[in-house]
Amino acid sequence: MLRKRYFTVLFALMLLVLSACGNTDTKDTAAAKEKKTAPKPAPTEMILATTTSTQDSGLLDVLVPMFEKENNVKVKTIAVGTGQALEMGTKGEADVLLVHAPAAEKEVVDAGNAINYKRVMYNDFILVGPKENPAGVSGDDIKAAFKKLADSKATFVSRGDDSGTHKKELGIWTAENIKPAGDWYVSTGQGMGQTLQVAAEKKGYVLTDRATWLAQEKNLDTLQIVVEGGKDLMNIYHVMQVNPEKHDKVNSKDAEKFVNFMIDSKTQDVIEEFGKKEYGQSLFFKYTE
Amino acid sequence: MNPLVELNNITVKAQNKTILDIPEFQICAGEFLGIMGPNGAGKSTLLKVLAFLEKQSGGEILYRGKVIPKGNVPLELRRKFSIALQQSLLLDGTVFHNIAIGLTLRKLPKGDIKDKVAHWLELFGISHLAKKNALYLSGGEAQRVNLARAMIVEPEILFLDEPFSALDFPTKIKLMEDFKGIIETARTTAVFVSHDLMEINYLTNRLAIIVNGEVKQSGPTPRVLEHPNSSTASFLNEWKKFYPLAR
Amino acid sequence: MELLIDGIKKAIDMILSGDREVFAITWLTLKVCLISILISTFIGLPLGIFLGLTRFKGRRILLLFINIGMGLPPVVAGLWITMLLWRSGPLGDLTLLYSPTAIVMAQILVSLPIVTSLTCTAFQQISEKMLLQIKALGATRMQTLIILIKQLKIAILAAIMAGFGRVIAEVGAAMMVGGNILGDTRILTTTIVMEVSKGNFDIALALSFILLSLALLITAALTFLQQRKRIS
Repeated sequence: MLRKRYFTVLFALMLLVLSACGNTDTKDTAAAKEKKTAPKPAPTEMILATTTSTQDSGLLDVLVPMFEKENNVKVKTIAVGTGQALEMGTKGEADVLLVHAPAAEKEVVDAGNAINYKRVMYNDFILVGPKENPAGVSGDDIKAAFKKLADSKATFVSRGDDSGTHKKELGIWTAENIKPAGDWYVSTGQGMGQTLQVAAEKKGYVLTDRATWLAQEKNLDTLQIVVEGGKDLMNIYHVMQVNPEKHDKVNSKDAEKFVNFMIDSKTQDVIEEFGKKEYGQSLFFKYTE
Repeated sequence: MNPLVELNNITVKAQNKTILDIPEFQICAGEFLGIMGPNGAGKSTLLKVLAFLEKQSGGEILYRGKVIPKGNVPLELRRKFSIALQQSLLLDGTVFHNIAIGLTLRKLPKGDIKDKVAHWLELFGISHLAKKNALYLSGGEAQRVNLARAMIVEPEILFLDEPFSALDFPTKIKLMEDFKGIIETARTTAVFVSHDLMEINYLTNRLAIIVNGEVKQSGPTPRVLEHPNSSTASFLNEWKKFYPLAR
Repeated sequence: MELLIDGIKKAIDMILSGDREVFAITWLTLKVCLISILISTFIGLPLGIFLGLTRFKGRRILLLFINIGMGLPPVVAGLWITMLLWRSGPLGDLTLLYSPTAIVMAQILVSLPIVTSLTCTAFQQISEKMLLQIKALGATRMQTLIILIKQLKIAILAAIMAGFGRVIAEVGAAMMVGGNILGDTRILTTTIVMEVSKGNFDIALALSFILLSLALLITAALTFLQQRKRIS
């Protein structure tokens, strides 16, 4: 008797699961219909490894669907730090990379792990800090500002996650021959958004990309921009294909299409237009070669 | 009369220690056989071997003159016996469900089960408990359910391992009296392990005394109790100090 | 406090307005978690019963590993599955990384030890005498098993609930092996992490309420199943 009851329950659960699977399928096709794509063969899959800033700003939510629709490709966007994204490329675990750490990128390209390396867009890094600005930094000279921060031992919050922004920050310290360490130097090991929140709580200074700052400013009322505009603060994004000759499972066909898509003038217009409505300014700017 | 179950040179060993060594032993139809002995003498092991619930280490067991292969006891044979232990070991469910379980396992029709359960509930005087959860019964009630559960399958042999020993005295004598009436009416062959002389004396008609894994004496209960031999005298006389036989 | 109320309001809003994206994410979460726990149950229950009722050489070592597995950090499970599924890994040809299947695999890895171990614990407590008694009632092996499962229904459902709790709360592994891809592997927990990192606390909070409601519903259903029809 109870056995019957048991099987009824198990059976019901199985049905639920089956119907769940079925439903997603219909959902997928419904979505496909909505996009009004031509009757399609199964889309190919491509893995895009990119930085959290492109995802957290919302830019990819606009660009990826455009690309998917045009090319019948399913893009799997994996948003990680630039360091990890480059490593995924080197290992052949991704097909195309969109990252922002030119020095590290150059090594990957020179080693032959990435090909078809193209400049896409830029925005800039900014230094934000507490409204009280205890270290008294300002202007557009980031190197001078970093030196001042180290001298005054004002709290500095670092990504510490090998991301593009972290690499940029380390580059500035190195240029000034400073080894940041001590109580004042906080390493979060987290994404930009969380790191900004830590900085807001701890009233520390933090180097961030402008896009993430604009998107999060509303939650960060203890912080303000203190240094911006210098040439050292340029944040340049490149796109590149993972070298298919090194890894046989890489989808180079779609990766090449994606590189071309990113530098296409139509896409470039979309990039520059992105964010204007919400923030009154562009978050990223055209910057092809 | 032909024996129902026969043991031939049976030994049971555990970790190189001999627990049981029985050259010859029989259960005959219609008897109420008592097995008595000091703690650790091997009474319960003997019961389990007789009921085909424990494998012997050596020797053979026969059922109605046929050798039953060791470790390969047919289900139909196992189902000819039933057992009631000291602990009632009832299942979470109604008393009805507990008593019915032997029949349920034998896949009897529902209507038959209902009738039979009603009959046995009545015999054991627990009809009013039918719908109660068996886990919430008193000790005496639980043991009644336990015995009814064993009797309802109308076993060829009923095996009992100290079913009354955990009960308080008034409950025990009331249950033993009822049980004796029931089993005599049903004419069920029974094997009864106990260490209590009073229970043995009241219920059994044949008695085997087992000491250190060996059957030291067996025969009609009154004769064994009155004339212990040299091996069983020390054990039985201890008892008789406190329980002079008045038969 | 204000944020909390906003969050609740937003959650109700999201559910009532039938936000497609939220619905899809919730649905995927439910699907992935149920499939995981179902598979964990189908494997873990028999395995737990077997380990609980039998005694063999190496059983204790096996149990030790399963018990360690109960505390397996999801990110470790995630890491293992990731390495297994890498294109260059042993199962790379299946291209399962960053798919819901990968999440299910990781969730099975973290919930299977829980279901197995708790089931085993319950069955281990059945006395030899009870097994003897059931056998003596004329039960076949299969019938004995059914009786025991019925007797231990409460413990078994508790094991399943504990496994489900692990699965639905899990985020580290799902993030790592799923990649939080919109419309594909984005589930409630990973979305919450992402929205927090975006600074959208209100959305994150709203999603957390949806997640809690989901967990509550499933657990309530299992509890109902567990506790009903108890005769006094």
